[in-house]
Amino acid sequence: MTLASMQSVLKRYGSCAALDYIDLEIHEGEIVGLLGPNGAGKTTLIQALTGILPVDQGRISLFGDSRNPFSDANKQKLGLVTQEIAVFEELTAKEGLEFFAGIYGLRREEKKKRVAEALEFVGLSAYANKVPHKFSGGMKRRLNIACALTHRPRLLIMDEPTVGIDPQSRNHILESVQKLREQGTTILYTTHYMEEVQEIASRVVILDQGQVVKEGTVQQLIETVRHEETIIFDVADPLGIPLRQVESIAGVRQVSVSGSRITVISAAGAGNLDRILSVVQQHSGVLGIQADKPNLEDVFLTLTGKQLRDREGSR
Amino acid sequence: MRVLSTLRFTLLRLMRNYIVLLLLLAVPIALLTVFSVILSGMVDEAGRPYFDQTALTMVLAFQLFGGSTVMSYLNEDLFARNRERMTVAPFNRTLYAFSILLAGSAFSFLLGAAIMAYTRLVLGLVWANWGWTLYLIALMAVLSSIVCVIFVCGVKSFSTAERLSEVYGVGFVLLAGLFFPMPQHAVFEFMGSYGNPLTLSVGAVRAVEIGNWNEAWFQANIVLAAIGFLFPVMLVMGRRRLR
Repeated sequence: MTLASMQSVLKRYGSCAALDYIDLEIHEGEIVGLLGPNGAGKTTLIQALTGILPVDQGRISLFGDSRNPFSDANKQKLGLVTQEIAVFEELTAKEGLEFFAGIYGLRREEKKKRVAEALEFVGLSAYANKVPHKFSGGMKRRLNIACALTHRPRLLIMDEPTVGIDPQSRNHILESVQKLREQGTTILYTTHYMEEVQEIASRVVILDQGQVVKEGTVQQLIETVRHEETIIFDVADPLGIPLRQVESIAGVRQVSVSGSRITVISAAGAGNLDRILSVVQQHSGVLGIQADKPNLEDVFLTLTGKQLRDREGSR
Repeated sequence: MRVLSTLRFTLLRLMRNYIVLLLLLAVPIALLTVFSVILSGMVDEAGRPYFDQTALTMVLAFQLFGGSTVMSYLNEDLFARNRERMTVAPFNRTLYAFSILLAGSAFSFLLGAAIMAYTRLVLGLVWANWGWTLYLIALMAVLSSIVCVIFVCGVKSFSTAERLSEVYGVGFVLLAGLFFPMPQHAVFEFMGSYGNPLTLSVGAVRAVEIGNWNEAWFQANIVLAAIGFLFPVMLVMGRRRLR
């Protein structure tokens, strides 16, 4: 069953299309990984899908309802984990969750039970009576997730839930997402960290410049670039490398520079490593060479010509 | 019912907001304590203790700033940090905004009453009519909250709304001639008599002290009329902003 869909959705900011006639479907039981660099339109897509942002054109449907997708009945089945941490600083973790459980109409006993469950789920039971301003960034993120869980949504939308947190909290969040799926929750998970998507998503949608560039399972997407290989050179003088000359070598599809790294995507089996290496060596010292199996990052690079995120910002 | 369940938490948030408590409770109490020492034994031409008048004016003047918490919570919950989560939740945001207005006004009123109680119990000040003064504190608290909601819904930038609320509070304190006397001019005199909630409320309490209930009701009803006039303005602006 399709829980959410967008058909030819357009959202413009002035002359810039943040969502450029997007089509998207989310089926029950999936974890859909929405992958894209900063500014790709991920948050806009989520805001459109949840009714926070009105769209200029197109059709949005939630739980099979396209006439009034943002009715209270549909909102009751929807959970949103916002990118910005939205918790009440003056209320304890437990009170904050009780607030949200209350606005979803949960009654006394049920509310207590669900709040305890949500705190347990995100590993904050021991901090139930503490106020969040004493929490670490990772704990606040987990509490932010718990706020969207007390009413047990059928569809949970998570907007970059692991931004700026420690690896331990990140792993906890990813495990929680897997657990939620096992419990039957459908999840739309946006991130610009491809490792996360590769780890948890049953289907990946790649978004760039407001458009769905490609979608499929991780394996399907990697298959599309299996006929290519990625060679990464660590060089002493990246600015001295004549990129056009490297690009002109037969079989080379794409060349990009990030810091001291030159990434070359070349046709698999073309056997042109020697040719590329000789060009690179003529203009700079080579500190290291690495040939990678294709991954989602390569898929993204091939499809968009861009790195998914700055190397400097990678973990 | 769903909005009703949030009231308890809004009140808890208000009670744990230490900056609000500091500005609207601790500061006036400290100032009143200092004034009670400085003005001890001093009386005006009519033989009334100066401190009585100062305490009355201060209790009412701080109500001018009570709406700032309502404004801050509305902004945080409906227009800024919590906006997305609140928009996605299946509840009536207009009613929720109204509940914040009510809770904020009630809280401001309670702080005013607490200051009154302090002046009575600790400083020994005798209030002529507790009920009437509390009624005027309530009117001032509601008016300030409504004005602040209009500001936060009327302008896009929250910092501009904050500045406007400060202008509202400080402006009427200035116009009441608390810092220095206002020039003898028709505009200032008109404002003092009919357009300044602070002077109107102070005037209404003083009128009761001398038994002039007609004048007291007249002045209090002008404040009430201001609330009546501004309430629909607030509703229109609030609905427009929450759309």
